[in-house]
Amino acid sequence: MSTSRLPGARAALFLVTLLGVASVAGARPWWLRGAAAGQDQDFLPPDAAFRVAAHIDGNRILIRWIIADGYYLYRDKMQVAAESPDLVVYPLSLPPGARLTDRFFGPRIVYFRAVEATAGYLRSDFGAHPLQIKVTYQGCAQAGLCYPPIVKVIFPDELASAATAQTSNLYSAWELVAIFGGGAAFFLAGLVLRKGRRLPVPGP
Amino acid sequence: MNRKLALVAAVAAAVAAGWAGQRLHSAYAPRTAGRGVAVPAGEASAPTAADVRASAADLAANAREGLGSAIKIPERLPQFTLNGLDGKPASLEPLHGRSLIINFWATWCAPCRQEIPLLQEVDATWRARNFSVVGIAVDHRADVARFAARLKIAYPLMSGEQDALDVAAAFGVVDPAFPFTVFTDDRGRVVALYLGELREPQIRLILAVVQDLNADKILLPAAQLKIKHGLQAIAANNA
Repeated sequence: MSTSRLPGARAALFLVTLLGVASVAGARPWWLRGAAAGQDQDFLPPDAAFRVAAHIDGNRILIRWIIADGYYLYRDKMQVAAESPDLVVYPLSLPPGARLTDRFFGPRIVYFRAVEATAGYLRSDFGAHPLQIKVTYQGCAQAGLCYPPIVKVIFPDELASAATAQTSNLYSAWELVAIFGGGAAFFLAGLVLRKGRRLPVPGP
Repeated sequence: MNRKLALVAAVAAAVAAGWAGQRLHSAYAPRTAGRGVAVPAGEASAPTAADVRASAADLAANAREGLGSAIKIPERLPQFTLNGLDGKPASLEPLHGRSLIINFWATWCAPCRQEIPLLQEVDATWRARNFSVVGIAVDHRADVARFAARLKIAYPLMSGEQDALDVAAAFGVVDPAFPFTVFTDDRGRVVALYLGELREPQIRLILAVVQDLNADKILLPAAQLKIKHGLQAIAANNA
């Protein structure tokens, strides 16, 4: 637009431009937040709105989501699948959530703030690969914004819980039996093989 | 005979010892391999124990940059072609010279569905004032067509998947989130991009300012400031 189309507007244009530059220099974007957000806050990026981590707890995987205030996750959009080879992950077991009624979708179960789910797993790779799972989840901001489904591949780490320690001890006991049993069997086999044979012993 | 038996026993013992060694390895090896590798590189880290203790509010407060901050809107309307609901290529070319309200949405998105009746009303009311609403659904065409038929959406709709995401990125929305709506003036300049569900006071404010801009009653920077302050005032009233 040229200023000739607005006679006498040059001073106003200068002033407004100055204000615009000052606004941009303030590095605060003005486009914008949802109407329901009454405070000066922006929408969160999806990875800040929903944070996920997974842990191995004995024979199950524990997956935990931390959900920012004003955001929620849909229960029916949460899934887990095996990603590493020779791994079977069973469907998620999820706690009861809150009920959110939508005009179009009807009542839906959602989670606010945090949710912890578990999934049983079976691995037959004998530890050859780091355990790797793929989690899918989808959520929205209450102020009126939804994120597309988020898919993350994660490596669950092991929980140092008492239950895990007990399980490890149990495994260790059987492993020790097998090792010492194997050693003893070798020794006995050697005795049997030696029976009736004399080893040449160097003379004095 | 005894020797044969002893050999078999020795082999069995070796197998048992090997199995036990492998069990020991599998019990301890993944623990060290998995430690410290939480999510793929470049993505957000998994919550630490401290995060778990922290409230969700703290997490929100600690987010370094909001979604809107990352959006760099273009000065002018980008040119693009997507498919219409009939599957044929469609562009905004036929609407050249009109002010546009370009709404990005998806059928699975509740707030997107929620604001469609308002957009239908705006399309009907403002069409005579040289404004047009265009919907761009980032979704499967069949789902969009079904939903559009159900709601009797009269304004033009386009849809796409990765191609529609590319169009969203051309408007500066690289990390997709829906709905968002772009407002242009009748010269193809992008006046505002509104992230989130539109409600009546917000859309009326923006349209009135764009109308003033089209009529040369206000300049673009002043129009953008007016929208900014108007939206802040609406947000403050809602607080």
